[in-house]
Amino acid sequence: MTPSLTTRRDFIATGLAAMAGAGFSTAFSPALGKAVAPVDKIRLGVIGTGSRGAGLATLIREMPDFELIACCDIISENLQKGMSLAAKNAKAYTDYRQLLDDKSIDAVVIATPLYLHYPMAIAALQAGKHIYLEKSMTYDIPQAIDLVKKVKASGLVFQIGYQYRYYGLYHRVKEIMKENWLGKITHFECQYNRNSNWRFPVKDPKMERAINWRMYREYCGGPLSELCAHEIDVVNYLTDSRPVKVVGLGGINYWKDGRDTYDNIRTVYDYPNGVKASVTSVLSNAYNGYSIRILGDKATVEVLRDKALIYPEITNNAKGVVDGVTGATIAVTTQGKGVEVKFGKPGEEQMEPTVFALKDFAECVRNKKEPVSNVETGRDGSIAIHMGNAAADTEKVQYWKPEYSV
Amino acid sequence: MGFMCFITSALSPVRSPEAHRIVGEAQGTTYAITYYAGQQLVSKMQIDSIFKSLDASLSIYQPGSLINRFNASQEGIEMDRHFARVIDKSKQIYYETAGLFDVTVYPLVRAWGFGAKAAGPMPDSAAIRELLRCVGSDKLQVRGTRLLKAIPCVQVDVNGIAQGYSVDVIAGFLEAHGIANYMVEVGGEIRTKGRKLPGNEPMKIGIETPSLTEFDAPVIREVISIGDGAVTTSGSYRKFRDSGGMRLSHIIDPKTGFPASREIISATVVAPEAITADGFDNALLAAGVDGAFEILRAHPEIEAYLIYKKPDGTVCDTASAGFGRFLGGQ
Repeated sequence: MTPSLTTRRDFIATGLAAMAGAGFSTAFSPALGKAVAPVDKIRLGVIGTGSRGAGLATLIREMPDFELIACCDIISENLQKGMSLAAKNAKAYTDYRQLLDDKSIDAVVIATPLYLHYPMAIAALQAGKHIYLEKSMTYDIPQAIDLVKKVKASGLVFQIGYQYRYYGLYHRVKEIMKENWLGKITHFECQYNRNSNWRFPVKDPKMERAINWRMYREYCGGPLSELCAHEIDVVNYLTDSRPVKVVGLGGINYWKDGRDTYDNIRTVYDYPNGVKASVTSVLSNAYNGYSIRILGDKATVEVLRDKALIYPEITNNAKGVVDGVTGATIAVTTQGKGVEVKFGKPGEEQMEPTVFALKDFAECVRNKKEPVSNVETGRDGSIAIHMGNAAADTEKVQYWKPEYSV
Repeated sequence: MGFMCFITSALSPVRSPEAHRIVGEAQGTTYAITYYAGQQLVSKMQIDSIFKSLDASLSIYQPGSLINRFNASQEGIEMDRHFARVIDKSKQIYYETAGLFDVTVYPLVRAWGFGAKAAGPMPDSAAIRELLRCVGSDKLQVRGTRLLKAIPCVQVDVNGIAQGYSVDVIAGFLEAHGIANYMVEVGGEIRTKGRKLPGNEPMKIGIETPSLTEFDAPVIREVISIGDGAVTTSGSYRKFRDSGGMRLSHIIDPKTGFPASREIISATVVAPEAITADGFDNALLAAGVDGAFEILRAHPEIEAYLIYKKPDGTVCDTASAGFGRFLGGQ
């Protein structure tokens, strides 16, 4: 079924009126911003079909919301992989600007090395595309601040690929924090560890830097921007805040293979009210590789990949005043041992968190809503990452500056 | 070693009494025994072996236990001493509470996901109606030492009373060893006798405030001293199942087959024996405030303290007239 152009145009007009009402500036060539009628599939282009981009394409292929009609990558193997997941008549590009010129594309997924995020996002905004930009948001702090302005002026949907904001597990953890299950929360302990060199195989030595861009500061912020970014965003999300300052130490002490990004970094972020979040990445040990421990004076929650466990504190405050306590039976398994935090509805299918994030992106594009993981939360994450790396580089405390959040 | 002990006790024949404490885990929860005596009179090993014999008889969590064999049987089985005592008392309270306490509720407990196995999907009303056929303690017949079922699908779960009974068994064991001042606590069910020595103070018992989560450490709402007797508490606040935003109580109303109304959040009962207190606390919880007072009027030997939720959501407490004498830690 082909929706008539008039239908689409009408919808664009209504969408724009609604946006104007919501206080969006229309200075940023809004005529290019395409609205998508609820019945239409969102026509999508993926820029960067490496491991993450192809992973996204695999999920997108199964989703009725999207039609993947274009892929772009400078590495031909990646491009082929992307095209194998795309619609029948999808177009292949090696220059993302040409993809953006394609007027039939409503929205783009950008899954490229970090240093390319900002220029590509700016170009996509200028081309009037809605954007799903992989985390972390930008290579440096000025880009983060500037992108907030440009996105706000565009009226386009702009989502950052922090899928855990869309995952029931984290919603439940936030809920039980609010319900005071953990008592007063004073610390977060986050780690994103691996026991590997974190490299992809390179056939042609000329391609080393293009493929293993995570090893080089020219292209990204290393483990903090590529791994721990999720956890920093999670702490921001769970505390509804952002760090005030940070200290850190990093080094290349294990994988001395020519990389110049850290192979280990340990930072401590200070959040409002003295809440501390240690954020660590070690590339030479994988025990509980991904883990966030939330320390409260009544209990600890440990969030792992797809589950969370709660460990109550054993407190005997009640005793001392009395010789015994009568109450509903406390199961012995809830004392000092982990109990799994239940989340989601009974019988609900467990899905890859990214699917929830992409579904919401579709919802936002159709209804011109602001994503939960948006340019401002993305900015807060990116600035925190850069502060952490700067703290380790300079061995000096880095402070959140007032001008960051104007 | 024996020689050493002999020497020590020979050198100090009369010791001033002091607190001896035994703590451990049993029946899926914790226990704590404190007794006051001049020397150690019972050991943890002895206590644990008593729990083992209780579990072998009464635990639905232990494969091959007597109760599991009864549940699996077509007609019934030969009971041991523990099982016979618990069934006898359960049937008595069943009649005295007009069926609000009913150990044959097990098929329903299982259907609602509170049994020994993990929860499945929620049952529908047709399934409940079918299971209600198997429920009713009048379908249990005691013939001599045999317990018989009226129909094969009758199954029992004595979790609502066995803990109280265990407390009585332990208390009896302590008394048989000449201990006259003690507190026995198993999973929040308590029996006390005598006073704390050497100070001769009464034993203070805290009544817990219902907590929001199943993990909260106890917070004391009232402090009581009951002299020689037992106190137990049944609460709908710690064990529940979430369903569509509703919290289902693990206390099932044997009449309707559905989780009991949650008007009463916590029922604390004082009685001469823990088995009595433990049997009645569940019935009071299921009865609601008015129903609970009706039961209490017919049973002057028990006193109760109830924490309940008003329709507007506020939490209040109330107690039987005779309960006041336990308050203030006298």
